Amino acid sequence: MRWHKRLLVAGVAGVLALTASACAGGQVRGAGGTPQPQASGGTPAAAQANDRTFVYVPNLDVVTDWDPATSYSNEIVALSNIYEGLTRYNSETREAEPRLATEWTSSEDGKTWTFKLRQGVKFHSGATMDAEAAKKAIERTIEKKGGAAYIWDPVDKIEAVDAATLEFTLKYAAPLDLIASSGYAAWIYDVDAVDADGESTAGTGPYTIDSWQKGKETELTLKAFEGYWGGWKPEQYKKVAFRVTPEITTAWQLLQRGEVDYVQRLNPQLFQQAQSTDGVQTTESPSFQNLLVLFNTADGPTRDPKVRQALQLAIDYDGLVAALEGSAQKASGLVPEGLLGHTPGMEPKQDLARAQELLAEAGYGPDNPELTLSLTYAQGDDDQKLLVTLLSSALKQLNITLQARPMTWAAQWDLGKKQGQDILVMYWYPDYPDAYSWFLNVFRSTDEPQLNLSYLKNADIDAAIDKLPELTATDKSAASDGYRDLQKKIIEEQAAVAVPYVQKYQRALSANVRGYVDNPAYPNVVFFYDLTLAS
Amino acid sequence: MLRHLARRLGQALLVVAGVVVLTFAVMRVVPGDPAVAFAGPKATPEQLAAARERFGLDDPLPAQLLAYVRDLVTGDWGISLRTRQPVRDDLALAFPASLELVGAALLLAIAVGIPLGVLAARYKTKFPDFGVRLGSMLAVSVPVFWLALALQTLFAGALGWFPVAGEYDARLDTTSPLTLWTNITAVDALITGNWPILTSTLHHLVLPALVVAAYPAGVIAQMTRAALIEEAGQDHARMGRALGFGETSVLTRFALRPALNPVLSLIALVFAYALVNGFLVEAVFNWPGLGRYAAESIRSLDTPAIAGVTLLVALVYVLVNLVVDLLQGLVDPRVRVR
Repeated sequence: MRWHKRLLVAGVAGVLALTASACAGGQVRGAGGTPQPQASGGTPAAAQANDRTFVYVPNLDVVTDWDPATSYSNEIVALSNIYEGLTRYNSETREAEPRLATEWTSSEDGKTWTFKLRQGVKFHSGATMDAEAAKKAIERTIEKKGGAAYIWDPVDKIEAVDAATLEFTLKYAAPLDLIASSGYAAWIYDVDAVDADGESTAGTGPYTIDSWQKGKETELTLKAFEGYWGGWKPEQYKKVAFRVTPEITTAWQLLQRGEVDYVQRLNPQLFQQAQSTDGVQTTESPSFQNLLVLFNTADGPTRDPKVRQALQLAIDYDGLVAALEGSAQKASGLVPEGLLGHTPGMEPKQDLARAQELLAEAGYGPDNPELTLSLTYAQGDDDQKLLVTLLSSALKQLNITLQARPMTWAAQWDLGKKQGQDILVMYWYPDYPDAYSWFLNVFRSTDEPQLNLSYLKNADIDAAIDKLPELTATDKSAASDGYRDLQKKIIEEQAAVAVPYVQKYQRALSANVRGYVDNPAYPNVVFFYDLTLAS
Repeated sequence: MLRHLARRLGQALLVVAGVVVLTFAVMRVVPGDPAVAFAGPKATPEQLAAARERFGLDDPLPAQLLAYVRDLVTGDWGISLRTRQPVRDDLALAFPASLELVGAALLLAIAVGIPLGVLAARYKTKFPDFGVRLGSMLAVSVPVFWLALALQTLFAGALGWFPVAGEYDARLDTTSPLTLWTNITAVDALITGNWPILTSTLHHLVLPALVVAAYPAGVIAQMTRAALIEEAGQDHARMGRALGFGETSVLTRFALRPALNPVLSLIALVFAYALVNGFLVEAVFNWPGLGRYAAESIRSLDTPAIAGVTLLVALVYVLVNLVVDLLQGLVDPRVRVR
């Protein structure tokens, strides 16, 4: 029957016509890759050299911005291995450690900082990394004003004293060693070699781009930079691939099959299973990201501090953390563990009886008219939803109806800027490892609300916040006291916020990987250079 | 025929224009500042203002719509706020991947659905009919997400017969790089004779294609059965019987061809539908397709990308319907006369 053939021809023609617009005209996919013979399975002599590709499984696309000046998103997991800053933060010592700078000093007043730079470091472009190049990089980042460039706000002037000495003069005292360790906007790069298309890189780090295919499953592969100043050992990983896997169960299957080496995030059930699975190792550590429940201090029923205190007491903190099954831990104050300013002993507790007393004083509660409060939280976030459910049922007993609305952040923020809700739930995390941003961004008053979505306006608190950078730069123990007092004021006296939990990272890795340390200052980053393959 | 075609084309253009205006309107009604998607969740007022300026979000709505239509016509589909790539480039990657998956699934669904439909019609109300009707009922009603996870856990996880996820083994990109012509991996591998990538792609395709094929196979079988039974009662079929043809011959030689007409319309509809609605399957099997792209774009309020997907899908609907109109003429010459 001839119509069969015609049908077939027409079908094929249709398919080809549909993709005509998508026609790529003979490009080679993964253009960066040079053809290499596949590694043949371990002969004893070759067992030393690690020719495995380390496969990282992120759950979202990796790169949206290749420019080290403006990058402010998921690509931190790749860029942290391509670029380096002057320092790197160690969350165990709570201090910045040498990276491209080998040592540094600050003046007594914390306003002049001198960094000695590592010598003999080359950029991927072949140019030499010296003080002049570092100065140009930071100045370009500041000028671009993108992403987290604001971290350099304290800087007045940068001077390359000689090839190995970089001197910063600040407008006001600030902990520049911490700022320079930021995961965003603090990279030192060759300003003449920046490539926004992701075909080459301009950093000094141990890896460079091998291939980048936006939208593909294996979106990005990295290869070792042979000229890295730290040198290379045979057992280190020379190749890295990022395999984007949105489905957690799929990621888990891939890990069990040995196809991937590192899963960024599992759910608590699978994580428990991973803990008792052969060939898989797990790590758990607290992050620098905590949940904030911000109460509207400017308007509506929550203007009354008693109502806000009652709300703080109504949250079932222990129940919530238990229900989150290990993906979160109870918070103590606003500043997470591992940062200067963390204050132990501030863990909150639910107390419905006391909450009821406070509400009665404010004219609400079971014997008074019903109170209705509006709350906004992040759409699609199951952890926040759990908080809302628990809070809602606790408040029901106190004759309070909670009208909770899940929203996208853009919508939630828009409404928040108009003071359109009584309670706003959001996460906060710092851009560089310093607790300052919780206070500057979330609790310092501004003319128009930005991220200070509890609308707190308190001159004493503002003044205390403004002193924090200088204290951190010059007197760490005074800074620590300052942070403690501020947290007591904001949480206990003002009751502007409740902090239910700090998120915990639960990672799963293949068992033959050695040397993995989770550094919360660089969320989700694996420093591949530090890893080795166990023989 | 030509006048018929011209009228259909005119209608199609109207539909596309309507879709463009409607998408635009919906995007502006959704609460939330799209600039946040571009400038970042903690953007300063200056950064937000710069983003709004760059994408013209502060202009009056009619001016924005006009600029939008002008850009579309000139081939500029805008920059995705989320991926920061031109939407057209993003779609040029995601669409062929979906086409590959849905195409394979539909071939499978047709190859299974039509013979099963014939079988059921031949043994109407007997055991095979029962079996086919039960099977297609199951295929249509089983949740896609569950089926995907179940097949993955069983055939990829436990038995290890198929890969867990992905379009092909990415390591092949270095050993046997693929030259792209259509961006559809399997087709390109076939054209250029890249056997390692072709076999790897086909191997990776099996599970997701099976899952996507379940629903179409079920409806195609049911529709074929129903149409055949109807046709089998028509005069030409009875004529066949009177001339002494067996029941099977009557069905396949006289009734099947006219019965395929409604089935073809159905296939077209299912095809366009599956393109974006396969996102659950795409998510489970890491398939870098259109559905996944659309879902991510919606989640991050990426208006240019959402508009791009909507427009593309509208175009596909329109095109597929036109193609079906023509095909129906080929399959059933009576359509050409009507």
